[in-house]
Amino acid sequence: MPAAHWLALAVTLSAAWLTVAAIRRAALTTATGRTFFTSGTHGPARWGLLILATVAALALAAPLVAPYAPSAQLDIVALQNRPPSFAHPLGTDLYSRDVWSRLLFGARVSLAVGALGMGVAVTVGTAVGAVAGYWRGAVDAVLMRVVDVGLSVPRIFVLLVLAGLWERMPVGVLVLAIGLTSWFGTSRLVRAEVLAAREREFVQAARAVGAGTARIVVRHILPNAAAPIFVTAALGTGAVMLLESGLSFLGIGVAAPLPSWGNMIADARDSVRSAPWSVLAPGLAIGLVVTACAAVADGLRDALDPRRARRASEQLAPFPGSWDLSSPMRDPRPDTPRNRA
Amino acid sequence: MRKTASFAVTLALAVACRPTDACRGDACGTLVVAALGEPATLLPPVTDQQLARDVHDQLFLKLADVGMSANTVGDADFEPQLAQRWEWEDSLTLVFHLHADARWQDGRPVTAGDVAFTFTAYTDSQVASPARPALARIAGVTARDSLTAEFRFSQTFPEMFYTAVHHLRILPEHLLRDVPRGQWSTAEFGRAPVGNGPYRLVSWTPGVALTLAADTGFFLGRPHIARLVWRFQPDLAAAVNLVVAGEADAIEILVTPDNVQRARETPHLTLYPYPGLAYGYLGFNLRANGDPSRPHPLFGDREVRRALTMAVDRERMRASTLGDLAKVPPGPIVTLWPLWEPRPRELLHDTAAAARLLAERGWVDRDGDGVREKAGVPLAFGIMLPSTSGLRRQFARLLQEQLAAVGAKVAIDEVDGPVQGERAGAGRFDAYLGGWNVDPTPSTGIGGTWTSAAAGLANHVRYANPAFDDLVARATSGAGSPDSVRALWRHALEVFNDDAPAIVLFAMDNVAAVHARVADVRIRPDSHWALVRTWRIPADRMIERDRVAPAAN
Amino acid sequence: MAAWLARRLLAALAILWTVATLTFVAIQAAPGDPFLPTAERPADPAVVATLRRQFGLDRPLPEQYARYLGALATGDLGMSFSQRRPVATAIAAALPHTLLLAAAALLLDYVIGIAIGLIQAATAGRRLDDALTVTTLMVASLPAFWVALVLLLVFGEWLRWLPVAGAYDPALYDALPLAGRIADRLRHLALPAATLGLLGAAATARYQRAALLEALGQEYVRTARAKGLDERRVLLRHAWRNALVPITALVGLALPFLLTGAVLVETVFAWPGMGRLAADAITLRDYPLVTGTALTASAVVVLGSLVADLLLRAADPRVRVHD
Repeated sequence: MPAAHWLALAVTLSAAWLTVAAIRRAALTTATGRTFFTSGTHGPARWGLLILATVAALALAAPLVAPYAPSAQLDIVALQNRPPSFAHPLGTDLYSRDVWSRLLFGARVSLAVGALGMGVAVTVGTAVGAVAGYWRGAVDAVLMRVVDVGLSVPRIFVLLVLAGLWERMPVGVLVLAIGLTSWFGTSRLVRAEVLAAREREFVQAARAVGAGTARIVVRHILPNAAAPIFVTAALGTGAVMLLESGLSFLGIGVAAPLPSWGNMIADARDSVRSAPWSVLAPGLAIGLVVTACAAVADGLRDALDPRRARRASEQLAPFPGSWDLSSPMRDPRPDTPRNRA
Repeated sequence: MRKTASFAVTLALAVACRPTDACRGDACGTLVVAALGEPATLLPPVTDQQLARDVHDQLFLKLADVGMSANTVGDADFEPQLAQRWEWEDSLTLVFHLHADARWQDGRPVTAGDVAFTFTAYTDSQVASPARPALARIAGVTARDSLTAEFRFSQTFPEMFYTAVHHLRILPEHLLRDVPRGQWSTAEFGRAPVGNGPYRLVSWTPGVALTLAADTGFFLGRPHIARLVWRFQPDLAAAVNLVVAGEADAIEILVTPDNVQRARETPHLTLYPYPGLAYGYLGFNLRANGDPSRPHPLFGDREVRRALTMAVDRERMRASTLGDLAKVPPGPIVTLWPLWEPRPRELLHDTAAAARLLAERGWVDRDGDGVREKAGVPLAFGIMLPSTSGLRRQFARLLQEQLAAVGAKVAIDEVDGPVQGERAGAGRFDAYLGGWNVDPTPSTGIGGTWTSAAAGLANHVRYANPAFDDLVARATSGAGSPDSVRALWRHALEVFNDDAPAIVLFAMDNVAAVHARVADVRIRPDSHWALVRTWRIPADRMIERDRVAPAAN
Repeated sequence: MAAWLARRLLAALAILWTVATLTFVAIQAAPGDPFLPTAERPADPAVVATLRRQFGLDRPLPEQYARYLGALATGDLGMSFSQRRPVATAIAAALPHTLLLAAAALLLDYVIGIAIGLIQAATAGRRLDDALTVTTLMVASLPAFWVALVLLLVFGEWLRWLPVAGAYDPALYDALPLAGRIADRLRHLALPAATLGLLGAAATARYQRAALLEALGQEYVRTARAKGLDERRVLLRHAWRNALVPITALVGLALPFLLTGAVLVETVFAWPGMGRLAADAITLRDYPLVTGTALTASAVVVLGSLVADLLLRAADPRVRVHD
């Protein structure tokens, strides 16, 4: 790896760390920020944020930091499945591509898929939850039955069938498909918050002074559901990344030659014996980022609203991968008086 | 005290966990085959799945079978099976005399009536046999007496004998007569077949394995190995794992140099190389994507195809993917055929010549985006391949990069098998990575795949050259000798290579791995397990599973 | 209670009907013809047409749908295209394997998860608690199939301690005495169950820790402490019992996770279960098998959540009041 790339790496890392330090300094002036950065004994949220910032910075700076083009086949005979070396810090893969370079460019795809997929899911889930919770009645009943169906089919089946609809699924469709099959739990969560909030005094007051429905929902009710939504979003990003990797492993994720961490594992699967590094590196990268997302979610939970948000992150989605995927994000105590309140 | 107790428990467990030693003596032995899939049915005419054919080899005999030389012209190299002998009464009439001792596994004798019945079944459109088209030149089959069957042909051709015996596995008329032909594809018989071969089906657990037991009264001699288990493992790497871990005994093809290396380093495995029956190619669709009535904007031009062929380094791709296990072939041929020649002579790797040729034909990168274009059309196309083939995926990725170097932009379409079938049939693709391995003869391998008569059937790229068609027609008709037939095929290959309707990428050689305790292993290249009944596991080398009596299933 | 159950069952039927309809439509809309041979082999149009007719694909789609639903009502899931046998038979062969894997994984998940949760609650705020928090967080964040690959490589191939594939050894199993069969099953079960179980346990531990800490802050626990009970008793007798209620409810909800994880883990370990069956069915466009597996999976999930609710009603009397 030439010196220029080491330099670029150093600059990128410094930039990411300085940014996080600056954010932290600014945040510590507010109570919420303080809680976020000190939640847990050693501030896991802080480390999570640092990891996310680092990976994001590396992804952005990939063309500068990566020594090779991500799909360049350097020498298909002499450089196949080479172990890590100074020239190739993480070795090369079956196609003689530099694993470190692919990891950097793969971060762009994996992070983008995670963030966008989560964005779609949280947006749809929030909208449906708000509508169902505010209007109640028939609208609510219909929407919640849809959610019931959505939660009853293991999502991987839905995605496998959906993938079959395309001869080659574009990444955009993949993100939409993931997002549109991931909102069911979020909508239940938001609905519960909205149900509770719509009866509160300030909403009654707003209604009394003649505020429009849309305005009431957006300005008065949703902010109350913000805490669980943020927590869900942080967890969701990680969960979508896990899901994308699983789909890529089954051959229906991000298509080659675009590198994603998931399809890097899938590509390297058959050479796992001769080149374990080509499987280990992307797997650990996914684990690291998903852990960081979960740590940030923990911090957000503590900082934003200890009581309500905890329900989102612990009871409804006990761990990152479970976000709407493992245990559908439904309240384990659906009918208890406490939750009805 | 405590130590003794725990020792006793361990001992008791060890004893309780051992299989009951039921099989003693030489007539034992279990061969576990790591099978890369599972048959859908074991009723031969209904399927031509590789896996089903492997099992059929043990259950249903043919009248005669291809020999070790795999020569398919004439009848000299064929081995008698159900037929003890045969003779030609005239140039169009072939008479088989069945072995009088041949028996169905329910005890009934195998008769000439069964042979005639088998022919009507294979050619009945209701049965929908994939082999039906191959039988078109047989006019009819009749039983002269209980042991004499007569085949009448409608014309003479070099592979008459092969055509008569290769596709037909003789079926029991008395068990299948009453099964409505329209229901053969899902017939119960396909799950519980009664055959006439060296082994019979004992059990079949879906998704796990099927077990065969030696037929002790088999008329051609009792098989040495008492039990065959096909253990289904569709994933190649996992199947190799099974063999390396000693959980399975045999795998017929290791495919990659990596796997061969692993097997070689495993002391309990012996490797058996044998000539291959497969070639792989990148076929260029000569007609427009989705519209066979128009020429393809890129590949309609012969010079573009030739240029792209020169643009890729087939030798390096071979070295990168298959190493010593494959050769770059001089045309669409496999190493097993007598036609085989060691190396290609034309359109060798030469990127400069390729670039020159493309520029001559008007394909130039004017906008500097790295992709050539001509009259606004970019030199861009998709390569279609089945999502299940790791090897072809590897070739596609390599081709993508190599073609990018001469200014061609390649997208890879990995599609599910049924999608590939549909798009290939409709001509809805630019290029596709194909592989060929079915029959041990160029008649189907070249003739059935690249002639204009096969356009839209197996000739998905719709290659059509009357000169090529004519040479193939001459090679597959008349009373040609092996030498004259070979010369005609060679000439046809030259025409094919000049036209470059496909880049033929590799011809594979195979390596099987078999457990070292198995003796007398012989592998017939065209049908790897066909000779298993002559393999042996000596009594002194037997391991735990060898002692399991077949009846235990 | 009866009315509640009837309502739930009716809702379950509606869900299953929706699932059947959606899968039926989606898979038929997918490109690809289940009866065309792959490109290598010549497609004889007559053969393809015959097969399509024999499997009823030549009829108009609404008629196929009506026939399918009609058959479904009588419990007939149709005939698999690719396996040439009834779909019900294929599923009956695969489902027990998946349920066995799920049960084993769930057992590991709960035993390990609850144990870690208890340890963490007992040592809350101390270094062990922190270490376990970080560990469980990281383990729960790993992709299941990746963990499966790594475990397979280490324990199956490098150390050779455990078998590399399958649910049992088909060459030996039938000849083994009962103890041997159980041992053979356990050896094959170890790696796939450990993969799913460990990931699940990490999650359960987090959940259990939170539930325990919440319970420890409750009034009755403070009362118990005030009465002078020692801390271990408080934790095990009072807090844990309460914290188990929500955990029990999660059992039923863990099923979709296990089924999803199963698709990937079954692929890696060649486990002959529903996940592999469904994935293959989709790849091969085996319409009846796709619909059949989706229906079965949904039925399992719906049933699981019903059971979970029943358990919850048994455990928590407050729920019943609100019928």
